[in-house]
Amino acid sequence: MSDDAELLERIRNGATDEFAELVRRHQSRVFAILHRYERDLHKVEDLAQEAFVKAWRALGQFDGRAPFEHWLSSITTRVALDHLRKEKRRQNEIGLPELGEDALDWMRRGDEKNELDARNAAELLELAMRELSPADRVVITMQELEGRSVKEIATVIGASGVAVRVRAMRARSKLKRALEKIVKEKL
Amino acid sequence: MNHRKLKQLFASARRETAPLPPEDFAADVLRAIHREPPVAAPETISIFDQLNLWFPRLALAASAVIVLCVAADYGLTMAGVPSLSDGVSQLSSQWLLTPTGL
Repeated sequence: MSDDAELLERIRNGATDEFAELVRRHQSRVFAILHRYERDLHKVEDLAQEAFVKAWRALGQFDGRAPFEHWLSSITTRVALDHLRKEKRRQNEIGLPELGEDALDWMRRGDEKNELDARNAAELLELAMRELSPADRVVITMQELEGRSVKEIATVIGASGVAVRVRAMRARSKLKRALEKIVKEKL
Repeated sequence: MNHRKLKQLFASARRETAPLPPEDFAADVLRAIHREPPVAAPETISIFDQLNLWFPRLALAASAVIVLCVAADYGLTMAGVPSLSDGVSQLSSQWLLTPTGL
């Protein structure tokens, strides 16, 4: 199996259909990134398609200095950021999703020995993150859930490293307050 | 909500498995890109891009003309020749703004 660089070369030379192979190689990562921002699977699929089409359009600008996977991840995160901005505008119209009792119980308990299962944790975070601005949410998600570096985050959101650190600190405080608010409202 | 609990929440959320793409996802993307223009197609330059390219030169040329006019006016005044603004006032009072007009 050839690597991405060879495949990209063939695509640039006119083998358009080989882009499908590139999609197959990276689709899982793209879906994983988008699922951190959108839980509706149909919307995730639409956004993933949008990300790949944007990558296709910008293929001429990919210089190969960074791995294709990183470049595609940045495009995908920007697609997610645009999506969050659109969703933020109509958030009040669609209302908030229901939260399971397990998540609320875990929040109310003071001890940190019991772990919350992954799905409930993700849903709880999703609910709390709705209180954050789209850019704050991207910063926190990239840093805490994807383990990306400050430099990578700065490139995606178009800010300096210092600005990212400050934004992350503020966003974390906002997130804590949002989680506390959720528990109070559900009591 | 303390810091440790928040960290624990992130750690649990990180373990969530992402949804799998549908079987025909790559084919769907391919259909979408077939409707797109070719990859290496040169981008057409819009009128705004052209203005963007020309703006620094136009601004520099306009600044040079203004500086030249001010310098000429100052120089003529110093040389005792009626200044440019006086000349323009005189011209307009004699020719342009006379009761009979041109």
